[in-house]
Amino acid sequence: MSANEIVFDNVSKFYGDVLGVNRVDLHIPPGITSLVGPNGSGKTTLMNLMTGLIHPNSGVIHVRGLSPYAPEKLMKIMGYATQYDAGPRGATGFDFIFTGLLLHGFSKAEAQSRTWQAIERVGLTVAAKRKVAGYSKGMRQRIRLAQAIAHDPLVLILDEPLNGLDPLVRAETIALFRDYGANGRHVVLSSHVLQEVDVFSDQVILIANGMIVAEGQIKSVREEIHEHPSQFLLHCKDASRVASLLFAEAHVSEIKLAPEGDGLLVLTRNREAFSAALERIALSGIDIDGVIPTDENVDALYEYLIGGGR
Amino acid sequence: MNPGQQIWMIAKLELGRVFFSRRSFWVYLLAIFPTVIFLGHALDFSLKAKQWGGDRKTSAEALNQVQTGMTDEKVLQLLGKPINDSIRKRRIRRDQDPAAEKQPEVRRFMMYFDGKRRVDLRFEDGKLVSRNMRLLMNFEEDRKVYAGMFQFFYLRLGIFFGCLGIFINLFRGEMLDRSLHFWFLAPVKREVLLLGKYLAGLIAAALIFGTGALFSFLAMVLPQDASEVQTFWQTIGLEHAFWYVAAAMLGCVGYGSIFLAAGLLLKNPIIPAIVMLLWEGINGFLPGVLQKLSVLHYLQSLCPVPAPLPNDMPAVMKMLLAPAAPSSVPLAVLGLLALTVLVLLAAMQAARRLEINYGTE
Repeated sequence: MSANEIVFDNVSKFYGDVLGVNRVDLHIPPGITSLVGPNGSGKTTLMNLMTGLIHPNSGVIHVRGLSPYAPEKLMKIMGYATQYDAGPRGATGFDFIFTGLLLHGFSKAEAQSRTWQAIERVGLTVAAKRKVAGYSKGMRQRIRLAQAIAHDPLVLILDEPLNGLDPLVRAETIALFRDYGANGRHVVLSSHVLQEVDVFSDQVILIANGMIVAEGQIKSVREEIHEHPSQFLLHCKDASRVASLLFAEAHVSEIKLAPEGDGLLVLTRNREAFSAALERIALSGIDIDGVIPTDENVDALYEYLIGGGR
Repeated sequence: MNPGQQIWMIAKLELGRVFFSRRSFWVYLLAIFPTVIFLGHALDFSLKAKQWGGDRKTSAEALNQVQTGMTDEKVLQLLGKPINDSIRKRRIRRDQDPAAEKQPEVRRFMMYFDGKRRVDLRFEDGKLVSRNMRLLMNFEEDRKVYAGMFQFFYLRLGIFFGCLGIFINLFRGEMLDRSLHFWFLAPVKREVLLLGKYLAGLIAAALIFGTGALFSFLAMVLPQDASEVQTFWQTIGLEHAFWYVAAAMLGCVGYGSIFLAAGLLLKNPIIPAIVMLLWEGINGFLPGVLQKLSVLHYLQSLCPVPAPLPNDMPAVMKMLLAPAAPSSVPLAVLGLLALTVLVLLAAMQAARRLEINYGTE
């Protein structure tokens, strides 16, 4: 275990019978890491797990060598901008941050100074003395970000931080992430749009249905998705002959014949090449009654993440 | 910041929310209710004294001279004009109804007031047949009434439900408000957070109910006869006041810890309230060891005046209302504190495991 990484070791979390995340193994190095997945995929669960707001049913988590079960140590180095809107009842933006800093043990003067710095950094100085309950969605997003950075943490966790921000503020916020991501700190943020985060993320973790689908640098994730084997079910009368022809194709990695002999399951690494091969087989006079993709999860996820599914 | 400072910091931050929470505003009404009752009693006396006082007041010495058998004319001569004087006459046909032989034809009622006592005189056919004297402010009786009110209402219901309202909201209320994560994301041990919140609840509850106990006690004592009050303060008054306030505050210590733990373990506050009420209610029937697991048992042991129980009350009711075998004062205080520590330790375990899961609230 590296003292500089966020480590998930075979972590599972269930909410009763509902799966949160399942058998997650992750090593997140310093830099900007984006958790990307559709709504309900388990992004917030991962973030809540690493901040100790929820506990895993199995597995172990360490954040830079610290356990989420020890908030008195972990929260000294961590800031978490949650998606939860509510803060202390009736608190102003200033109070919201100032109170948190007092709990960190800063003196009143130091807490005041840090509060104003954080508020200035997110551009909320004018609204600082207004009640958070009266803030717009974007302002709440920013005040939560200010609270997360106010104590200058080594690990910054941000749940959908770009939601509700106008383009100018979004650019400023991304600049802040870049600034934070440098100097060996962690910035872990979540999004359900890959295109939104791939330009500034050092690494991306794709998550769907509570499982890690792909992880790494954005380029390798894209390749991993494209190279992920796809499975198809072919319906044809002469399954053995089709199988022998497909075996000759380099992109086909596995074929299983149906017990009845009227179909076969094919695993391919290249959909386009597979499609061309099927065309050639059909043109050669062999009847193929149907082609059904049986494993499109990853592709579907990717399509969704880059915007096709929205 | 050491844990002690963190506890105090959390308590300070929480105090405002606890004192001014709209959700538990009714707690103040529970605390103030006994004071209102005794102030009402004092006001009633004051109004009657004003209404019947002045020229219409009769001297106590003269009132004491009145004996049964005296004629109404003689009483009027002795005491003067009464505050109330009513005469009821009826016609009796003695020849038709032999049973009516002994019934009077004229009944007369007079009422006098000597500044403290109301005296009702009943005359039949011109002769005094009964003299009923009643102190409008009877200190001894009022102290017993206060003891009953304190044990049967203030401890069993007021402080019980007040602590339920204050302490159960410390965690459960924040879960409902979706703001508990704010505390969980602070660099503070869950145990420290729990103790900080408990301290905030305790300060608020102890102040509200301790003050309520003191004010109601003063509202009971101060309107009494000045010389009696002076004697009372010089003898047992301060001690009684101290133990009533102490019992109220220790009630907050005990019930507070239980409802704080219940707020961590259960979603519905009605369940712990019913279970606790039942447990405290049947305490008198339990074996000695189990009686020590009741907050009320210790609190009743601290009360300086036993609560009055009418002689004709069924034995079962007496067992329910009276402490079965009161503990000594030091044992009661130590027992209550030990019980509180045990409950808080269990609450700490629950706090360590507590998760933010607003979706299921």
